[in-house]
Amino acid sequence: MSSRTAPMRLNLGRFVVFATLAFAVCFYGIPLLWLFIAGTRSEASLLTDPPFALGTWEAFSRTWTNLTTYNNFQILTWAGNSLIYSVGGVLLSLIASIPGGYALAQSEFPGRKLILTLTLIAMITPSTAVVLPIFLELNLLGLSNTYAGLILASGFFPFGVYLTYVYFSTSLPKGVMDSARVDGANRFQLFTRIALPLARPIIALVAFFSFLAIWSNYFLAFVLLSDDKLYNLPVGLTALVSGSGALSNLPSNDVPIKKPEVVLAAILVVLPVLLIFMAAQRFVRSGMLSGAEKG
Amino acid sequence: MAAVELKNVRKSFGTVDVIKGVDLTIDKGEFVVFVGASGSGKSTLLRMIAGLETVSDGDILIDGKDVTFAEPSERGIAMVFQSYALYPHMNVYDNIAFNLKLARFGKDEIDKRVKEAARILRLNELLSRSPAQLSGGQRQRVAIGRAIVRNPKVFLFDEPLSNLDAALRVQMRLEIERLHRELGTTMIYVTHDQVEAMTLADRIVALDNGRIQQVGPPLDLYARPNNLFVAGFIGSPKMNLLPAKVLSAADGKATMGLDTSSGTKVDLTTRGASIGDAVTLGVRPETLEVVAAGAAVPAGLTALPARVESVERLGNITYAYLDGGTPEVITVQVMGHSDLQPGQEVQVGLRSDQVHVFDAAGAVMASAVGR
Repeated sequence: MSSRTAPMRLNLGRFVVFATLAFAVCFYGIPLLWLFIAGTRSEASLLTDPPFALGTWEAFSRTWTNLTTYNNFQILTWAGNSLIYSVGGVLLSLIASIPGGYALAQSEFPGRKLILTLTLIAMITPSTAVVLPIFLELNLLGLSNTYAGLILASGFFPFGVYLTYVYFSTSLPKGVMDSARVDGANRFQLFTRIALPLARPIIALVAFFSFLAIWSNYFLAFVLLSDDKLYNLPVGLTALVSGSGALSNLPSNDVPIKKPEVVLAAILVVLPVLLIFMAAQRFVRSGMLSGAEKG
Repeated sequence: MAAVELKNVRKSFGTVDVIKGVDLTIDKGEFVVFVGASGSGKSTLLRMIAGLETVSDGDILIDGKDVTFAEPSERGIAMVFQSYALYPHMNVYDNIAFNLKLARFGKDEIDKRVKEAARILRLNELLSRSPAQLSGGQRQRVAIGRAIVRNPKVFLFDEPLSNLDAALRVQMRLEIERLHRELGTTMIYVTHDQVEAMTLADRIVALDNGRIQQVGPPLDLYARPNNLFVAGFIGSPKMNLLPAKVLSAADGKATMGLDTSSGTKVDLTTRGASIGDAVTLGVRPETLEVVAAGAAVPAGLTALPARVESVERLGNITYAYLDGGTPEVITVQVMGHSDLQPGQEVQVGLRSDQVHVFDAAGAVMASAVGR
């Protein structure tokens, strides 16, 4: 049997809502759409054809070759670096923030409130504000301009601690923890055998946000890294763009990085974030706790 | 030796005293039920025995050993929670086996014990399911199974049936009763449902406001309540509590005047009453009789004029709710069918040898049914 729905009537209120929504979708969606289409076009096409004209496969593959082979596959090195920084930083931030948030949520100890407050303060402090002190610190330790240095600095993720804290203090059924205590689980086992398996959604969420922050981190990497072999994608691309003059109206040179290559590079930065989001959002939906308690 | 001993146990949260000095000895194999309204401290007391709440003062002994500061897992107890508290990421088998795995039992021993528990609780078919795939009753059976495999010295139940529907509750109640018979283990059971308390308990511990009000076999509490709280709490429908004043008192006899417009007087055998005292008369609904208005009241009964407010017919029993000019309606239980109609004028017959007398502080006074 088909369900019956009331016929949609357009009144003024509804019209305003829809018009606003449509405007927002266009305003924010069009630049993204343009980005992906522009990656397939030649420089001439970008300058003369209408904004949403599709390019050709030939143009795309030439752009791709220009970009990837430039300077001995430099961009692939940067992409690899970005991956190393991101994976290392995400792992470090997970190792620190998941147990940290759990401890703040599940135990009472002196100074707990203070730590929570400091976490919040650290969370709202713009990361660029602490870049200089971090640089000085790492310099002192001899870690500036190294993989380990940037990974160490990016593993600091107070937002992850806070997210985990909120999750564990609201979503972990108290009865289940009590029951595990009666069953003989010690503090460590409570965390590893009960809390952690139930925390998959929050682990995915923290990992995703942390990845997002590290993958697109420009300023910290820019300050810490001086060797261009260690650059991550954002720093590398900025260097590439400013070095080649692709976006400025400099007299033409023989560097093969023009506007299409810059567009493709931007896509390379955005795409992994999109893919990871699609993989992670499945876990973020929290269905893990059903059946534990009444339900 | 006592299975569980509580010695002057106290608990306070900040400045609020929740448990105000509880002394209790529970024998081996005994089924003890803690009853009380919400906030009476019954669950807190159970969680203190389990080791899930700290003890502010006093001692807890299990099997003769002082466990006041012991971890829950070191106390030889197993607990079943109101919320079932199953581990959602483990299947039924692993839920039941979890504590055995933590205690490093061998694989074969774990398997043997889990299968045995599953057999007792009829869970064999469900061992590979996840908790989300089970019904409420099945989940509670898994929770009980998890408790059984530990071979505990004491089972603790924290309102285990209150999340179940009425039919299932009756079935699970019988199952817990059967379990106690089969295992013979000491059980402490917390409930606010006095039917569960009456049917399961060897002894009931009635708690109110963090204090034990009375301890005894269910029928003892029913027949001889120590105070107004127990009188009002045990028994369904509730005991009728009628405010009255002592009009005359001499030689163990007293005449009480009910606080009603009719000013009905009741002659009672009671000790310790003095003229002018405010008292409360407690009368069970099944001891009252309804007599037609104007008809002669049988000897030994005191008549109180009343009007029928409403009637509930359950088939085998009829409950009549009467307005006798008292602050609360008077409940009368009539066996079988009755043709009482709302609005009808009647007389309620009080049997003077079935009246409990409570003094102004709520304590019971000696009377024909009291002590």
